[in-house]
Amino acid sequence: MKKMFALVLSALLLVTAFAGCSGSSQKNGELVLFTWEGMFPQEVLDGFTEETGIEVTYSNFDYDETMLAKLETAKGGDYDLIIADDYIIETAIQEGLVQELDTGKLENYGCINPVYQGQFYDPEDKYTVPYGAGVQTIVYNPQAVDIEIKGYADLWDPSLEDDVGVIGSYRVVNGMALKVLGESYNTEDIAAIEAAGEKLLELAPNIRLIKDDNTQDDLISGEVNAAVLYTSQVTMAKMANPDLKVVFPEEGIGFGIMAQFIPSNAPHAENAYKFMDYILRPEISAQCFEYLGYYCTNKDAEEMISEEYRDFLTLPADIDTSSMEMIENIGADAVAAHDKVFNEFRTACGQ
Amino acid sequence: MKNRTKLPNLYLGVVLALMYVPILLVILYSFNESKISSVWGGFSLKWYGELFRDREMFQALWNSIVLGVLSSLCAAVIGTLGAYGMSKVKFPLKGAVEYVSTLPIMIPEIILGMVFMAFFALIGLPFGMTTLVIAHTSFSIPYVFMLVKARLVGMDKSLPEAAQDLGASPVRVFLDVTLPLVFPAILSGMLLAFAMSMDDVIISVFVTGVDTNTLPVKVYTQLKTGVTPEINALCTLLFAATLLLCGVAALLGRAPKKQESEKDVTEP
Amino acid sequence: MAKETSLKRRQARGDFLTTLPLILFTVMFVVGPLVYVVVLSFLTRAETWGTVPEFTLKNYADIAQPVYLGTFWQSLRLAFLSTLLVIAIGYPFGYFMAKLGPKWKRRTTLLLMIPFWTSSLIRLYGWIIIFRAGGVFDSLLMALHITSEPLKLLYTYPAVVVGMVYALLPFMIFAVYSSAEKLDFSLVEAARDLGASPMKAFFTVSLKLTLPGLLSGVVLTFVPSMGLFFIADILGGNKVVLVGNLIQDQLMKAHNWPFAAALSVVLLVLTTVIIWLYRKLSGVKDLEGLV
Repeated sequence: MKKMFALVLSALLLVTAFAGCSGSSQKNGELVLFTWEGMFPQEVLDGFTEETGIEVTYSNFDYDETMLAKLETAKGGDYDLIIADDYIIETAIQEGLVQELDTGKLENYGCINPVYQGQFYDPEDKYTVPYGAGVQTIVYNPQAVDIEIKGYADLWDPSLEDDVGVIGSYRVVNGMALKVLGESYNTEDIAAIEAAGEKLLELAPNIRLIKDDNTQDDLISGEVNAAVLYTSQVTMAKMANPDLKVVFPEEGIGFGIMAQFIPSNAPHAENAYKFMDYILRPEISAQCFEYLGYYCTNKDAEEMISEEYRDFLTLPADIDTSSMEMIENIGADAVAAHDKVFNEFRTACGQ
Repeated sequence: MKNRTKLPNLYLGVVLALMYVPILLVILYSFNESKISSVWGGFSLKWYGELFRDREMFQALWNSIVLGVLSSLCAAVIGTLGAYGMSKVKFPLKGAVEYVSTLPIMIPEIILGMVFMAFFALIGLPFGMTTLVIAHTSFSIPYVFMLVKARLVGMDKSLPEAAQDLGASPVRVFLDVTLPLVFPAILSGMLLAFAMSMDDVIISVFVTGVDTNTLPVKVYTQLKTGVTPEINALCTLLFAATLLLCGVAALLGRAPKKQESEKDVTEP
Repeated sequence: MAKETSLKRRQARGDFLTTLPLILFTVMFVVGPLVYVVVLSFLTRAETWGTVPEFTLKNYADIAQPVYLGTFWQSLRLAFLSTLLVIAIGYPFGYFMAKLGPKWKRRTTLLLMIPFWTSSLIRLYGWIIIFRAGGVFDSLLMALHITSEPLKLLYTYPAVVVGMVYALLPFMIFAVYSSAEKLDFSLVEAARDLGASPMKAFFTVSLKLTLPGLLSGVVLTFVPSMGLFFIADILGGNKVVLVGNLIQDQLMKAHNWPFAAALSVVLLVLTTVIIWLYRKLSGVKDLEGLV
């Protein structure tokens, strides 16, 4: 056993020696990027370093809340550029952790699709540049589903027993019931949220799974035949099985935006501007969105997206953008009601 | 020990085999062409190609191994000494101290993570490998401590006492008599601690620095795009490397045969 | 005489010194977080983010709602069931393992651990492949003509239990093994020679002597099983809600840190009580100081 330890240790030391060689070289400074893993294709990151000489340190968080907690601990420092979800950015701005953008430093600022600007989290576009949008859609397999699904209400159909998968976001799931009842996603009326909870209990027998990661796999393997998915999952599902039908729910469309911002005490803010501008370039942007699978927030990039992806990455022309609603931050009591309703729903699904 | 029946060995074999079934499937699916894990798209080495282009993945893997080794070593030292000392000393609240020291496996990880983050920021410790090692050591100690303690309870006290009567210093007694006796427990505890460290994401995410991504952090934070089969390829390589290392160790271990066979005789 | 007592004292001091790293570490990194959690559980949540330093008992009162009590009950049930199965499978394994020759002991130790050195998420994906409709298990059953059509096994309670047992087994095995390994099997032989039946010999000698290991194993499996919510998420389709899950949600979705802290405190107290009860009921008074 001792021998083995010695062997393992020496192997480790050997690898350390090698790892030491590939240490980061300080050429033209660095950029600390803080976001989920898998947000950029390696070529884009490499291309940026090649062009500017700036080393990119890619640091990851799991949830938006982790990001905010870490950013708060770092007092708005440590990180140069962060990409996160809309609602958490609103909170970060309120907490004074975000610096105002000097859009004059972004040559390609004009490429941004205005549909995704001026939203609740940054109404005057002072702090953020969008990087991808997600739209909640229903995807189903018309061969295995007897009815035609047009909106959320159809998911309640008894023929879909134990056959529906939904993503794990409680605001999205409760929101389905709110929409069916004709309410807004962002209602703060506790009675309305509780009514949605009652409605959801009727949906429980149809629910086979509630989960966030790789839910599209279950749709493709036939574990479920209808699912409410995130946009990147829809893209993957459609690529794997073109026969699947994508439905923009008639009750209204919920959507969310991921956006970039520079923290208040970013150590290399200049490099962050360079990176933002780099990924705003239409050809780079197109590359990013094909990889990411979310809706393209760069208007000029849309036509550069290859044919096979274009339909999945841009909003259909006939969509009424006025029926779209974002999920916004709501008051503590409403959140508590949502949490309770969602847990009751999940428990009911497991019965 | 007379071996009356082969049944126990058969049982061990079956359970072990069952433990490997999921791993074997992961290996099989690492050669799957399709990105969708539920569809077999034909044999392909595509994910290995992707993996080898991903330099950061290997850096993260390396960070994880260093972290696992360091934290399980720290836990082994603190846990073993603690279990040994606790078995000898008596003081009020001893039971309480022992109980509390095993609590890190009880406190939800996410809370530990947040508290560690706040604590390290408070004492001004920069986030990075040091903070990771401290945090991982804290949740690794209970494994070593509990296993070593279970072994020390009711252990034959006559051997260490005899050694002491023969004039060995307490340190010598510990190193030459007690340590070899509890070694299997330390080893098991370290293996478990290493596994827990290699798997932890929640605590790591909170206490890691900007450039010390660990493997689980890199894998589990693909929330927006879904976990890619690249990780299956990485697991397969890890698995192969571990087996290879064990094989080499077994071969090397064969050299001093005399000692081995001697041991075989003395132990039951 | 005086020399001897000073030697004893020095030795006692030495023994105490060995416990010092553990005590220091425990005070800094365990008691600290505990105090933090308890304090946090009495604070008031802020409207969107963080906490307000205002004392309240509301967080504890909120736990009394049926839906959250139900979650505790569900967690406990799953933890009990998993622990029982882990004992049933792991105890004999650890016990038999201790009877192997030294070479095979080492090999088994490694063989046991290798699967657990890879990401738990990935191993769970392996189980998904097994349980999936028309997956490995289904095909096997149908090939053996036990069933005629695919069972919907994935995203069910049994799938969660299998995942739990799989994840927790090594803890039990190692705990039992490290205490059975020092067991003098000649004692068992002696009992047999004196006319005890195999069962009697096992219960009077082996079980009694391996109880410390079993007890450690229970602590190392029962306690974490309350928090392994990602298994319920991935293999149970998120339909089995566990306390660990609830706590995670409070922090990461509802931004209600005090409520999460209160849930944690109740969970800690509950686990402590259960382990204490287990210790009393199993009558291991002579194992003074264990657990």
